Amino acid sequence: MDSSPLILTLASIVLASTPLIIAVCGEILTERSGIVNLSLDGTMLMSAMTGFIVAFETDSVWIGFLAAMAVGAFFAFIVAFGSIRLRQSQFAIGFVLTLLGDDLSAFLGQNYTRIPGPMVSHYPIPILKDIPIIGPILFNQDPIVYFAFILVGVTWFWLFRTQPGLRLRSAGDRPEAGFARGVSINLQRYLYTILGGALVGIAGASYSLNIKIGWSEGITRGLGWIALAIVIFGGWSPIRGMFGALLFGATKALATYLQRTFPEVSVVAFNALPWVLMILVLLLVGSDFSERVISIAPKSMRRPLQRMLRISPPQALGSTFVED
Amino acid sequence: MQDFFSKHPKVWRAFDIFLPFLATLAALGVGAVMLMAFDANPVVAYGALLEGAFGSTNALADTLVKATPLLLVALGICIAFRGGVINIGGEGQLILGAVASTAVGLVNPDMPGYLLIPLALFVGFLAGGAWGAIPGFLKAYFNVNEILSTIMMNAIAVQGMNYLLREPMIDPVQLEAASRIPQTARLSAAFDLPRLIPTRLHLGTGLAIIAAFLVFIFLWRTVVGYRIRAVGLNPNASRYAGINVPRHIVLSLLLSGAFCGLAGAIQVYGLHHRMFTDGSASGFTGSAGFNGIVVALFGQLHPLGAIPASFLFGALIVGANKLQRVMQVPSSFIIALNGLVVIFVVSADYWRRRMAQRREADLVGEMTASSEAEVPT
Repeated sequence: MDSSPLILTLASIVLASTPLIIAVCGEILTERSGIVNLSLDGTMLMSAMTGFIVAFETDSVWIGFLAAMAVGAFFAFIVAFGSIRLRQSQFAIGFVLTLLGDDLSAFLGQNYTRIPGPMVSHYPIPILKDIPIIGPILFNQDPIVYFAFILVGVTWFWLFRTQPGLRLRSAGDRPEAGFARGVSINLQRYLYTILGGALVGIAGASYSLNIKIGWSEGITRGLGWIALAIVIFGGWSPIRGMFGALLFGATKALATYLQRTFPEVSVVAFNALPWVLMILVLLLVGSDFSERVISIAPKSMRRPLQRMLRISPPQALGSTFVED
Repeated sequence: MQDFFSKHPKVWRAFDIFLPFLATLAALGVGAVMLMAFDANPVVAYGALLEGAFGSTNALADTLVKATPLLLVALGICIAFRGGVINIGGEGQLILGAVASTAVGLVNPDMPGYLLIPLALFVGFLAGGAWGAIPGFLKAYFNVNEILSTIMMNAIAVQGMNYLLREPMIDPVQLEAASRIPQTARLSAAFDLPRLIPTRLHLGTGLAIIAAFLVFIFLWRTVVGYRIRAVGLNPNASRYAGINVPRHIVLSLLLSGAFCGLAGAIQVYGLHHRMFTDGSASGFTGSAGFNGIVVALFGQLHPLGAIPASFLFGALIVGANKLQRVMQVPSSFIIALNGLVVIFVVSADYWRRRMAQRREADLVGEMTASSEAEVPT
């Protein structure tokens, strides 16, 4: 088994990126149906807290994950209900829930801070783990990591290769057309907002049960916003989103490495680096920079480049749909 | 009930205005159940809350002092929301305003107060505006989602503040001492905003209320304000009407950030008289940049509605401290209570709109009925 520092680092990047990958998949499902669940940051804190406490009390990580899913689904349900039924701004509701989740998790979890608890057990996959380089990075991990990668594939297949996925995308892209074809738009939106929220719940719990074991106030703070940014960076595609999450994990690892190498540079520069980078990435994605790259590329490269770089948000994202 | 309101439109209008407050009472009712779950007597608890917020001149002054930054941030949020952009960067813009205005005071210690204070507040206003204009520019010309960019600008502002307060702007006394608490020196006492009565209440509260009226006049009585609202309501129609949409998006986020920056400057010159950090954003801001958004929503995104809304939330925060001391209830309870209040107000708004719709439908029904009666048969 190869255990050179580089391979260990890559394996730790993969592990550290799993909550982001799972949360990004969940939010992509939600946004593809036309709803923005802005509460991700608060939801992840709530589910990280719930997941740990339930796992601690029942001594079973899997029950912890189930409880975290329920919390995530419930927060998402509030967003869906508020925007579909109460016709309120989903951004306002999501934002208020973010604040609420942050404070409520600090409040409810205060008796469980900084205590050791159960964790997901390591489970290397036999045979596959012995493949050189890839094996130790991808297949010498925890079940949650495998789940994240399977989820990316399943989400992609579901969205782009199945009939239910088509109905889901119609709710986010052309709700009127979908409705005319007999799709219950708001049912789709409820369904995928709640499912997406449950996945965000898994993401939160995977942090407190698999990466930084235990609970302390605000442990996942910021991750939810990063996930929302990666959804945009990933162009609402799970596979690109996965690469975005891995890229972000890699930058953080790089920042830690640079910090050790250049101790004379102030630590705040490295703390701010991921955020500056995220803004720059959003800038590149949002501007016509990608169009320019496509136009100067050789002709045979243009089509694949277009498929890789062009980004179009679901067209009815964030708007309400009235069935009548 | 519906009939009652149709017959008494004046009662309906009064009810309309007080609905947020009724919703607040309902939220406090749910909070009472939560208090009972903690084995706390809700009557005693809410008594302590009221006493803490309004019980004495000092308590009332503290409530107003807490409400001041909330009001200023809420004004900024109103401008942004009316312009169709969502500004979640209040924390960062507040920090920028505070740091920049503190620097002005530190660099010119010998300037007379009547010159320096306006200058410093203006610099704070500009600094917050500049920090808000960056996401505005990115949104208007590069299509970068402003919700995410403002959140990230917050994180960057916090890191910048931590650097400045630990290195170049640190109090020389702290530099000598081993403790090295990251804070600046106290600003010259000549720069303190005048106290209104012998309490902590300072002139900043008055400035904030004046600002609320100015923002109201700006948004509803000037051409630029009208354009900002037009862009917010319908960017496409505005473009066809000849309004430069990107420029007004930048302007609304710039002004939004500017009021948050002013809030930071007033916090420094009115209350703390120095800048400090605990490493996070809320250490200095007290989460005013976030709570101001809630205040603005509560005030129905109207600058004048933000005045009572900020007072209410200031009272909740100050009263909560007292409640916590008296009842030994965790401080997070009060924040959960704030969330409850917002959720109730939001749902009440839905109910109000539905009632209004029904009322209109009733009126239309009556009118058609009476016109039909006039038609000769």
